[in-house]
Amino acid sequence: MNILADAPEIAGPVVALRAVGRRYATPAGEFHALRDVDLEVQRGEFVAIVGQSGSGKSTLLNLLAGIDRPSAGEANVVGQPLHMMSETALSAWRGRAVGIVFQFFQLLPTLTAAENVMLPMDFARRWPAQERRPRALALLERLGIADQADKLPAALSGGQQQRVAVARALANAPTLLLADEPTGNLDSHTAQELLGVLSGLVEEGQTIVMVTHEAAAVRHAARSVTLRDGRVVAREAHADA
Amino acid sequence: MRDFVSPRWRKVLRDALLHKARTLLVIVAIATAMTGAGALLDAWALVQRVTAQTYLGSHPVSATLHLEDVDAAMLARVRALPEVAAARARRTLIASAEVNGTRLAAELFSLQDFSARDIGRLQPEVGAWPPRDGELAIERSSLTFAGAALGEPLTLQVGAGAQRSIAVSGIVRDVGLPPGWMDNLVYAFVTPATLVSLGAPASFDELQIVVRDASLDREGVRRVAYAIKAQLELEGRHVDRIDVPEPGRHPHAAQMDSLMQTQGAFALLTLLVSCFLIVNLVSSMLAGQTREIGVMKALGATPRQIGAMYLAFAALLGAVASLVALPAALAIGRPYAALKADMLNFPINATAVPWWAIATQLLVGCVLPVLAAALPVRRACAMRVHAALCDTGIRTDPEGAFLRRRLSLPGIGRPLLLSLGNAFRRRERMLLTLLALAAGGAVFLGADNLRRAVRGSVDLLFASQHYDVVVRTAGRFPIAQLEAVALQTAGVERAQAFVGASASLVHRDGVLGDGFALVGLPFDSPLSTPFIEQGRWLRGDDRNVLVASRVLLRDEPTLVPGAEVTVMLAGKQARFIVSGVADGGPQALAWVPRAALLAAQGDDRAASLAVATRSPGDAAAAVATIARVRSALADAGMPVANSQLLGESKRVIEDHLLMVVEFLGAMAWVMIAVGGMGLASTMSLAVLERTREIGVMRAIGAPHWQIVVMLEVEGIVIALLGWVVSLPLSVPMSAGLAAAFERVMFRVPTQLAPSASGAAIWLLLSVGVAAVACAWPAWRATRVSAATALNYA
Repeated sequence: MNILADAPEIAGPVVALRAVGRRYATPAGEFHALRDVDLEVQRGEFVAIVGQSGSGKSTLLNLLAGIDRPSAGEANVVGQPLHMMSETALSAWRGRAVGIVFQFFQLLPTLTAAENVMLPMDFARRWPAQERRPRALALLERLGIADQADKLPAALSGGQQQRVAVARALANAPTLLLADEPTGNLDSHTAQELLGVLSGLVEEGQTIVMVTHEAAAVRHAARSVTLRDGRVVAREAHADA
Repeated sequence: MRDFVSPRWRKVLRDALLHKARTLLVIVAIATAMTGAGALLDAWALVQRVTAQTYLGSHPVSATLHLEDVDAAMLARVRALPEVAAARARRTLIASAEVNGTRLAAELFSLQDFSARDIGRLQPEVGAWPPRDGELAIERSSLTFAGAALGEPLTLQVGAGAQRSIAVSGIVRDVGLPPGWMDNLVYAFVTPATLVSLGAPASFDELQIVVRDASLDREGVRRVAYAIKAQLELEGRHVDRIDVPEPGRHPHAAQMDSLMQTQGAFALLTLLVSCFLIVNLVSSMLAGQTREIGVMKALGATPRQIGAMYLAFAALLGAVASLVALPAALAIGRPYAALKADMLNFPINATAVPWWAIATQLLVGCVLPVLAAALPVRRACAMRVHAALCDTGIRTDPEGAFLRRRLSLPGIGRPLLLSLGNAFRRRERMLLTLLALAAGGAVFLGADNLRRAVRGSVDLLFASQHYDVVVRTAGRFPIAQLEAVALQTAGVERAQAFVGASASLVHRDGVLGDGFALVGLPFDSPLSTPFIEQGRWLRGDDRNVLVASRVLLRDEPTLVPGAEVTVMLAGKQARFIVSGVADGGPQALAWVPRAALLAAQGDDRAASLAVATRSPGDAAAAVATIARVRSALADAGMPVANSQLLGESKRVIEDHLLMVVEFLGAMAWVMIAVGGMGLASTMSLAVLERTREIGVMRAIGAPHWQIVVMLEVEGIVIALLGWVVSLPLSVPMSAGLAAAFERVMFRVPTQLAPSASGAAIWLLLSVGVAAVACAWPAWRATRVSAATALNYA
């Protein structure tokens, strides 16, 4: 079973940002986290968003996930104009179209690994109830941790937890996988293993946008976009990816 | 479970089990509140059903016409009237029953037909029925009170007639009568021949009817009764009086309904208080899981899906609490219903609670927690994903820090300041917790005020009566002779004859009101000086002047001072001017000058003598004196029917009134228990949230006892704030309880402000409840190792 083959087809780029800006009101005045960002990501691409702390890369990832909203510009992601959608519609869209991997895994502590993977399927109801566990086990198998399926997160290592998080992000066969510093909380060996997993997914046609500040991680992406003070300052293709 | 329950519902269950003790505490609190409310509902449902089946099923008498010689021909004519469904003839005779040397007042009923099933149906329980000549059937509610037993003789005396021992041959229930034990009366049924053997006439003097139209109200029934009266008077008969009770209502039903409605209101208040606990629990759970909510939203959960999870958790708490509360409510509700039914003189034959009462409890049990949790859940679900993912848990509290700075006084140590500040860290939670305690305290203080008011009112009532014993003679005797014999008896300080009569107010439309007692006494009597509330007391130059009691004024609102009214007295109309309103306790009565009443009756005799002994307050001396008075009166040819010590009367009245107060105040204890559990829940949440802080304090050297003291002080601070809030809250609560008592019994001058002693007792109770409620969370805090606490996230 190709567990990634169910991602819905869309016309045009998976990500299309036009002059996107994001500003926040702070006690010290307005803070511009992003300014005039243009970005396109095509289907099957592995793009790394890089930059120093505070450069706006996590804000950009949040905009792509519909977790945050742009203050200016247009954000079309997986065929939907996110800047025009309600919170409820965004939640439902996220469940179908986007998978997210967090830096600190964010697995629900009272659910087992398999249940954590089944949870997004439960929300999106894309698969009938009887197919959800087999699919969750298949995803965990794909990520090499099927033997940990019935353990609670507290019983897993950091690397295993992040693999469960990746399996969970893939649960609803999303068009776009977003990863926020996925290796930031892992040792270098485990980090390399996880990046290998992500590269493998891209080879199978998965579109991935990854936020990172680690050079070793950037090398796995086909291209990188560098942010500084909320602006895109460099776009670079990597021949060795 | 793996295949049938989806992960999100598994999460709900596991979250509930994660903090078992805390969840259990909330379930116990909801179950406690629901048990109180459910028991009341079960009792009410059972009593309502019994009322419908038993009381209405007995075809209660609609009206009683008092006239001489009700014969069979008259009965037949009345029964033939289209408005009348049934009619019977009866005689009621006042007698005295001697039990173990004590004389009790008795009412003997002689019926023309004991087997009639269509009017005031009687239910034989044990022994022979109907009674044969020379035997009696005792009403079951009088059995224990009278000290009677089946087959044993009961000594009866009517008027000056001879005493006779009459065998108790049967026990019967008359659901139309209030319980004998409540009214201090021995009710019994005898044949006309037995009455004759006691020296009374065999004829019947009451014509009782049941109207055909069951939908008639009291006025409608009165019209039918007056039409019969008019017809009888055309035949040359004279109707002395007509009594029309509230149709379809047991004599005590209004009081019982008011009592249960008031208790029901408190039960709802307790449920509301238990909802505070749910709000606290769900809020803290949501606060602890804000990030999880953010993650679930990031994974595609809609606000509705997340909301459903937490509301289902609340419903689960309610469902489990309902399962605990339902049998507990049944276990309490059934005996409570039996007690209520006993007060109405009904049997509770079937204890199966109606399905709708069970369904209502289940529904309320499941829905109420959901409603309580709705607001915090809605708030949490509305949180944006980004904000939820960035949540860092409990925040710093500028107000708490401010308070700690302000309280930086010499003598207040840093740990104590920390406790004070901690109490204010979760202000919403603290507010709900202290409100729960304050609500219980307010009811406690309100009930205390009412108890004092009732005692004060009874004291006031009896303070106006400066005699020790009331002696009732068997028949009327000349006043001068009665008083002279009593005054010549050793130990008697004062003696005055009071004249009693039954009267009714004649309304403007000519219809008679309910009967009330007229008491004729000398205007300057030193033995009775009722407390005047409006207008003035009787004067020497008064003739047809009356002073109404407060309860009579409530029943007949036209009896205001200055009003000129017509009173039906001894079959004749008499005009009276109302001079004032006085405190007559729970009785509807009016005082008139003795001379005026004697003149209106055309009689100078009395049957009631108030006696003040030379040793007031000494019951033994009073009993000895009264024995001498009885003997002296008997020797003078004026036998005594019964006598009652004033202290005994006071105790009986006080017991009856305080029983109602205790029923009303019982909910305070349930509310305090629920409030205490709320505090325990709040403190356990505080310990959970501050595990890391507690770890830090222990790491820097805080001993166990100091951690315990800090948490205890924090809980006591909340309880003290609850105590402060309960003081003003008790003012409307006192007013509400007094209003409820007035509906059930009569108005008492309740003090609205809490009494100093009541407030002090509630203060001690608050501190005690807080100390107990905080003990377990504090102990838990000391059980966590510093290393574990510091690793807690």
